[in-house]
Parts: sequence; structure tokens; C-alpha cells
Amino acid sequence: MSKKKIATIWLGGCSGCHMSLLDIDERILDVAKLADIVKCPIVDGKDLPEVDIVLVEGSVTSDEHLREILHIRKQAKALVALGDCAVTSNITGMRNYFDLKEVFDTAYVNAVSNDKEGSVPDHPELLKLRDKVVPLQEVVKVDFVIPGCPPDADTIFYVLFEFLNDRIPNLSEVKKLRYG
Amino acid sequence: MPKISVTIDDKKLDVDVGKTILEICKESGIEILTMCHLKGLTDVGACRLCLVEIEGINKLLSACTTKIAANMIIRTKTEKIKRYQRITSELFFAERNHVCSVCVANGKCDLQKLGYKTEMDHIRYPYLFPECNVDTSHPWYVLDHNRCIMCTRCVRACGEVEGAHNWNVMNRGYQVRVISDFDTPWGESVTCTSCGKCVHACPTGAIWPKAIVQGQLEKKPEIIAELIEKRKMNL
Repeated sequence: MSKKKIATIWLGGCSGCHMSLLDIDERILDVAKLADIVKCPIVDGKDLPEVDIVLVEGSVTSDEHLREILHIRKQAKALVALGDCAVTSNITGMRNYFDLKEVFDTAYVNAVSNDKEGSVPDHPELLKLRDKVVPLQEVVKVDFVIPGCPPDADTIFYVLFEFLNDRIPNLSEVKKLRYG
Repeated sequence: MPKISVTIDDKKLDVDVGKTILEICKESGIEILTMCHLKGLTDVGACRLCLVEIEGINKLLSACTTKIAANMIIRTKTEKIKRYQRITSELFFAERNHVCSVCVANGKCDLQKLGYKTEMDHIRYPYLFPECNVDTSHPWYVLDHNRCIMCTRCVRACGEVEGAHNWNVMNRGYQVRVISDFDTPWGESVTCTSCGKCVHACPTGAIWPKAIVQGQLEKKPEIIAELIEKRKMNL
């Protein structure tokens, strides 16, 4: 059996899900026997090549995330939404109750730590925030979800291992479903 | 008490007249999902989770508000019911802003448990993201509308058990809200006795004591029924 290719992506999240992924500890060797990790947030910024499984952490908060997730969808056979932000928008979605301008002003103009000249950064190289933060399934077809903030390392390993062995995981069946 | 025969999930049972389907199921060890039901309070059929199929009736009826009748053939776990229960729990999450990771009730929440039971791994409906108030005016307790599912257990506990009628419901549809007195801050209430029954009756993190931190919430909803029993004792 040829080795599968997997990748992990970090969109609008806190990287906690990736921390949890690293918490699978020495079991990463079991994963490495079955798959090559071809992209993750600590490698260089090349576009995602074709992969069998991609774990995507975080929600879609900007134009760049949207472009990225659409590209990921084209390249990946199985797209797994990793963590509450990717699945429900979670904390990143808490700005959705407010107008975007109000959000910017709160962070860059009116924050207590700002001096009087605080202004919203505006540079063509910066990503543009979307009006509303959305979970992955609102913009692309998601094949599997792992909720949790962050998901347990055991849960992540279980899902990864099942997929790598060509089985479909079931979180309810193994009582690994968790939010928050 | 006269007995009648009914069939629940292919089990023949002889049961007492005058009870609801939910009461009979609980007595017979048949699990039914509920959110708005709380032992000791009047049932209102608000959450729609305890829906059951009854042969000969072409719509689903709520077990908590439907009285059992002779020869009823009831099914509680059909695919249709499971599908509806999953939809219902998804709509709870989509309607307001339930962010489990920052909630005081995280890990101790009936709404989370409901999600697990209905195998809800994600929400298929667009989130409404309504702007909801958080009322921190009461010296001991907080009311967070973001986390309220309108089960109205607080309203009934306050009215029926404490007798204070501080809580009520205003508006309709997605604008519906629990209110203190005439939609005034809870801390300014002239009817609230600060007894805390609503805090224990609430199944989510919508009403909680200020003295606790995230994940430390302990609620004892069973005290409502216990109180009612104790009052009957005439000590």
C-alpha cells in the first residue's frame, strides 16, 4: 500500500487544535508509517499540493481564508474540519454580533492601550476581514468534523488513524463527541 | 387505581390512568429526551424533544403534555423521531450564541449532553448570531440571553414553586426573551426574592451565580421536586 499524503492547515483559529494534534505524542510515529505530512503551519508558504486528507483548523474570517479553503477543497480527497472554530465558528464568530467597523475601532482606535493616534491599519498586503465569520461547511463541502475546543488528542488520533486505514470514523459510536 | 393497556416500543404495559406518556415512560425505564420538562413543574411542551409517534395520529405529539389512553400504540425511537430530535438540537444552537468553550456551564450543560445524545457533530443551519443582552445587575446572579433556549423552566420554578413571578416571557418567534418584571434589570426587580431556584432550574449557562468560574457550575435541578415534597410533609 502506498503511503497516503496528509496536511494540516491553520485558518482563523488560535492554533490550540494543532497543539492538541501534537499531543498525540509518540503516536505520530504510527501516523508517519502510514502517511507523509506534506504541509503544516510550520513549513513554507507554498500552496497545498494534492493530498488524501487535510485537517483544517479555524473558521473563514477573511478573503484570504476563503481563497485558501476553496483551493484546499480542490486539492483534498477528504476535508476534515478540526475543532469548534472550523465546525461552529466558536469564539472567532463572537464578533458576528457586531458591525465590522465597530470591531475594528474597538481593537485599533478605542482600545485602552492605544494612544490618541490609533488608526485601523490599511495596507494592500493585509488580508481583508469578511463581514461575518463562517464555519467551513458554509463555504465548502466538509467530509468529516471533529468538534471540541480543542478536540482531545485521542479523538484526533482516532479520526486520523481510521481514515488512514480506509475506515470511516464515528465519534458518537466511540463516545468522543465533545463541544467546548 | 384503574389500569389500562398500552404498547410502548413494542412492549405491552398495564399503566395507571391519568398520567402523561412521559410519566409512564419514566416509570417504565424508557428513555425520552427532554429539555423543558423538570420534575415538580407543570409541563408546557416547549422544547419539542419528547415527541412520540402514536399509531392512528398523523402528527408527532409531545409525550410530556399528552395523557396516556387505553390501547395506545406508542413509538419513541423511530428514525423519524431521531431525525426531528437532531434538527431540534441543531436549531437550539443556531438560534442564539452558544459558545461552549467560554461558557460557565461547559461540561455540565444539559444542552451539550443533548447534542451528544442526538449525535449532533455540526449544525446544518445558518447561525442567526442575534445581539443578546447579558444582565449582570443582580448582586449574585447573571442572566445571559445568549445561552437561553426558552425552556421556561426558570419562569415556572419562580411562579409555581417560589410564588414570586419575577420571570416572564415577552415577544414571539426568534425575538422571544425571558424578562424580569416588566423587562427591567433583574437587580431592580421588586418581585425577585433572590432564592436561586431559577439558577438551579436552568439547564444551560443562561442563569448562573457570579461566584463561580468557567466549568465550575454545579446545578441541582432536582431540588425543585424535593422542595415540593418537603412542603407536603407538614412538619
